[in-house]
Amino acid sequence: MKKMRVGRRDVLRSGALLGAGAVLPPWMPRMSFTAKNSGIRGDVLVVVFLRGAADGLNMIVPHGEELYYQSRPTLAIPQPDARGSSQNARVIDLDGYFGLHPALRPIFPVWEQGHFIPVIACGAPDESRSHFKAMELMERGLTNERGPASGWIGRHLATLENGNPSPLRAVGFGEAAPRSLHGSIPITALKSITDFHLNGNEAMASRMRSVISSLYTGDQALHQIGRETLSVVDTIEKIYPSADVASSMTDYPETDFGFGLRQIALLIDADVGLEVAALDLGGWDTHFTQGGSEGIMARLLAELGGGLAAFYDQLQDDMDNITVVVMTEFGRRVRENASLGTDHGHGSIMFLMGGNLHGSEVHGVWPGLDEGLLIGPGDLAVTTDYRDVLAEILVKRLHNHDVEAVFPDYVPNIGNVIA
Amino acid sequence: MLNRRAFLRAAGLGAAGSLAVACTPIYRELAGDTAESGDFTETPLSDFRALSRMTFGARFVDRQFVLMHGLSAWIEEQLDPDTIDDSSVEWRLRSLESLKLPPKDVEAWEENDVVAELSQSAILRATYSNRQLFEVMVRFWSDHFNISVEKGECWLLKPTDEREVIRPHTFGRFEELLGASAHSPAMLVYLDNQANIWEAPNENYAREVLELHTLGVEGGYSQDDVMELARMLTGWRVKEHFWKGEFTFEEDWHDPGVKTFMGDGISPADIREAEAVLLSLANAPSTARHISIKLIRRFVCDDPEHEARELIERAARTFLETRGDIQQVVRLILLDGLSSLPETRLPKFKRPFEYVVSALRLLGADTDGGAPIQEYLRVMGQPLYAWPTPDGPADDASAWVTNLLPRWNFALDLVDGNLEGTEFHPRDFVRSLLDDPSDDSLDRLSHLLIGEGPNQRISDIKFAHLRAGDEEDLVDEAAFLTAAVLLSPEFQWRG
Repeated sequence: MKKMRVGRRDVLRSGALLGAGAVLPPWMPRMSFTAKNSGIRGDVLVVVFLRGAADGLNMIVPHGEELYYQSRPTLAIPQPDARGSSQNARVIDLDGYFGLHPALRPIFPVWEQGHFIPVIACGAPDESRSHFKAMELMERGLTNERGPASGWIGRHLATLENGNPSPLRAVGFGEAAPRSLHGSIPITALKSITDFHLNGNEAMASRMRSVISSLYTGDQALHQIGRETLSVVDTIEKIYPSADVASSMTDYPETDFGFGLRQIALLIDADVGLEVAALDLGGWDTHFTQGGSEGIMARLLAELGGGLAAFYDQLQDDMDNITVVVMTEFGRRVRENASLGTDHGHGSIMFLMGGNLHGSEVHGVWPGLDEGLLIGPGDLAVTTDYRDVLAEILVKRLHNHDVEAVFPDYVPNIGNVIA
Repeated sequence: MLNRRAFLRAAGLGAAGSLAVACTPIYRELAGDTAESGDFTETPLSDFRALSRMTFGARFVDRQFVLMHGLSAWIEEQLDPDTIDDSSVEWRLRSLESLKLPPKDVEAWEENDVVAELSQSAILRATYSNRQLFEVMVRFWSDHFNISVEKGECWLLKPTDEREVIRPHTFGRFEELLGASAHSPAMLVYLDNQANIWEAPNENYAREVLELHTLGVEGGYSQDDVMELARMLTGWRVKEHFWKGEFTFEEDWHDPGVKTFMGDGISPADIREAEAVLLSLANAPSTARHISIKLIRRFVCDDPEHEARELIERAARTFLETRGDIQQVVRLILLDGLSSLPETRLPKFKRPFEYVVSALRLLGADTDGGAPIQEYLRVMGQPLYAWPTPDGPADDASAWVTNLLPRWNFALDLVDGNLEGTEFHPRDFVRSLLDDPSDDSLDRLSHLLIGEGPNQRISDIKFAHLRAGDEEDLVDEAAFLTAAVLLSPEFQWRG
């Protein structure tokens, strides 16, 4: 017989520890944030964030620009027809003026297919040159910090009703879901599908599964997340390991990034309702020994290009329903520093990959590198706000027309990147 | 035996008879015994919550102290850590040799071994130290002045930074802590000041000093100030070869020109230029505010700028009035912010380190802080000494709530004995259950871990499964029940 006791403890129990709390924390999904839109499910969106401020100038190289070579005596990538350097060290020409860093070679065939494009001189208005401020604003999709605490992807999902009940609508690949996903329901951080199960023997795990399900029945955000986590465990149990076979046939880089892309491909392939996947690739803060055609940044580019190319190869037949966007918080100084690196700059780059692009074209407006055209301490200007590109994806590929809710303090200029 | 006794006492489960284990006080001391965890104590929830903010796990002994002497007495004692005996934790750390060596000697070691020992020491100190508030603050500063051992040779420099920069200044003056960090080879390498030289400055360290270590991103400096401070810091370097890992100022690499910083002209004065600027940065109003906000976020609430504006003002004023006396600022924040923690104040979410350590500490587990624990911290998203970016791990719930599964699995692995080097004995829990079949044992376990009795959902588990069986079954049940509390929503919070 269970003893019933009513006393101080029961009073205490109703306190903040167990109660729902009087104030909603900012990360708590807002149930009142009802969708204004309804529409059919659009593309799977894969957002790759290059953390640390990637040097766009050495990714899509302005090889037709003399000032580029003057500003970067040791870091510049030799022109496509440069003598005295090996073929493998030179820029891969795209349009006679811009070209790919040679380490991005794996992605060149996708460009030729018209399914991979760069948008040059992209970025945000923020000029703090602070990684943390810039990343936060960008992931929240804001110009001004006083805007909503949720992320732009979170608001996109919250404003679009498309009848997708999957617990895997939005997944952050890694140890934590990035800020951009906050505010969405549901939201899951997932590192490895193989490991996404409860430990212990089968009997214990299955018993614990039901215990967890009874422990996480409240209406707090944490309880919701607990329930979603369990339902992701269940979903993955159904598709694994059969779904793993296909993706293990493809050559992804053997890194966290390559592994993450493989997991995303696996979920897309298994058709479990994935709508948005967010994935990071860090290490771009190249103040020191950045390298040119080879070196630290070249290795990162090989990882990026190799990963995207493998993803494309595996999902070629699905590319009509996939949009990949690659972004970074800001670019790097035009002039190299004395540590064979580059300091924090402004304008950078975005990449898009998918089956519905205006391909074979370098998008964006080149602001130039002349002294008077640079901003701040000598940085590339931003001619395309990153939200212009994202808003175009929202409207044309994700069927979400409530751009104002997603980007509340900016009116995007919808461009012509997507066909 | 040790563990059994430790668990019994920690959980307050042992009847006097079953505790008839003879041991000398010195043995207990040397073994780092957690038997001092104290007996079952029912504390007002607000005290438990406050203690949980200031420790890595509020043991019964701490709760008893607060019941008898009040929260402020506990805080005062903890603010004076030298008076608290901590020889047992030192004993546990005795074999971690690499942590005692200067960088030039660490160089002979394997990188992995050094990083493992450094991480072990952090886990052991947090789990077993009696100087809990001090250790909480050590982790705070180690995060504030974050250095990742994965960058370059930071792995051989960080143990010295922890030993000679962070720990000695943890309760000191902020200006001394900042100055020590600026002269720390680990920091200079981590943020590329090693490469910051005349006519070609590298801005990385200068920027993060302003943005992260002192004024804060809205603290009123400009891009020009970043570049000028970088010029002042040219020549601040780390020695190579025989003196490897020692700080040096190299005049030849230093920019001898006049600089302007935040409106003031700085005459050429070699190393003293930056030293003077760092001193004034350490005591600037923006810094006082920035540090106060971070401390309040650590101890009181996730969003101080909205939830605790007045406290920020008071803490920042104390900071300026005492010339950055960290002890005084912390005292004010704890006394004002925690001593009457209102029930409407939201709980703080345990970051992975706090989750793992609170489980080990409260259960009186015997751990070496080794690889399996460190791996779990990585999978949960808080790798020790390997946070890649200089901002350090976030200190608000939103950064951590989405990754529950590894916490659940940690709880299962801990009670199931799957973590090599870490032991927890549910058998003793069972023995007391057999002795006393009332539900008090569950009540005590729940009080131990979450500061209050079990809620209905946890009670239901027990009554569904804890039926009479043989002892082995009961051991499994006890382990299961403990895991259930550890993975419950309630245990994810620091109170």
